[in-house]
Amino acid sequence: MAAIESFDNIYLDLSKEHGKCRFAETGLGWKPVGPGDTFTLDQGNIGGAQWSRAARGYEIKILQRNSGIIQLDGFQQEDYERLSKIFKNWYSTNLENKEHSLRGWNWGKAEFGKAELTFNVQNRPAFEIPYSEISNTNLAGRNEIAVEFAVGEGGKANGQNGATPGKGKKASAGKDQMVEMRFYIPGTTTRKEAEGGDA
Amino acid sequence: DQNGVEVKKFKRFESYKRDSQFPPKVRDMSIVIDQKNATIVLPVMGRPVPFHVNTIKNASKSDEGEWSFLRINFLSPGQGVGRKDDQPFEDASAHFVRSLTFRSTDGDRYADIANQIANLKREAVKKEQEKKDMED
Repeated sequence: MAAIESFDNIYLDLSKEHGKCRFAETGLGWKPVGPGDTFTLDQGNIGGAQWSRAARGYEIKILQRNSGIIQLDGFQQEDYERLSKIFKNWYSTNLENKEHSLRGWNWGKAEFGKAELTFNVQNRPAFEIPYSEISNTNLAGRNEIAVEFAVGEGGKANGQNGATPGKGKKASAGKDQMVEMRFYIPGTTTRKEAEGGDA
Repeated sequence: DQNGVEVKKFKRFESYKRDSQFPPKVRDMSIVIDQKNATIVLPVMGRPVPFHVNTIKNASKSDEGEWSFLRINFLSPGQGVGRKDDQPFEDASAHFVRSLTFRSTDGDRYADIANQIANLKREAVKKEQEKKDMED
């Protein structure tokens, strides 16, 4: 394997502009095509990696050891073999192929992971919400939970390019900014979960 | 049933089987209406997420200063308004996404999307009724 593996047209954390993503034994880097800082991630901080279909193409989601989440979108389906080897050989990490639910259902199970909330439909994730993107939650009614997202006051300026991954920007990255999501959670399930049992 | 009362049954439905069926427009990370598959695709943290028209209750647009808001309400148990109470669910003990709200500075687009969702919903109800009439 070459000392550096390079991929073009990759978007970091839903950036407006694409950039070049490079993998080396010591870690990975992303540099926007336009002006902006380079983002780097040390291989020691890679705690896990998933491969899924996203908006621009296929996405690698990296779970950092310090619990943050990095999303790299824009890979081609046929890049999987090459990337799987990179993660296995250089980072001793399995690039897990995570197929998402495409059923179009609005019911399933909300599960709380280390860094994000996953809504599963028939044991497949339908979507994920990184905790870093949530600005507020409240009990909006009986069995109803409202989750508000960090879109910020200067929302229109959000989603600019550069190496500023992570916090409170993903909900407002596109032209349709997600401001709120409400869940219906039946009372019995909530009680069971509070007691630590499986629903 | 034997009393001649119509019992509503839950019928399964599915938006897509493969991710290659997504409309190409999902690239833009914006709300996409897919008439052909009776589905709206919503951008959630960079992922296109399909919601079948059968899960949708309604959609409404509102304005606040320079922003327009589009709220999409989904069917879920316990909404308790009149005849909606007998809405069948496959699993009423599941967790439900009850609503999603987006904002944008393009209010005309949200009015158009709310309209399209209403039409899609009307179309689906009509088809369902026609099917029922055929069976009778």
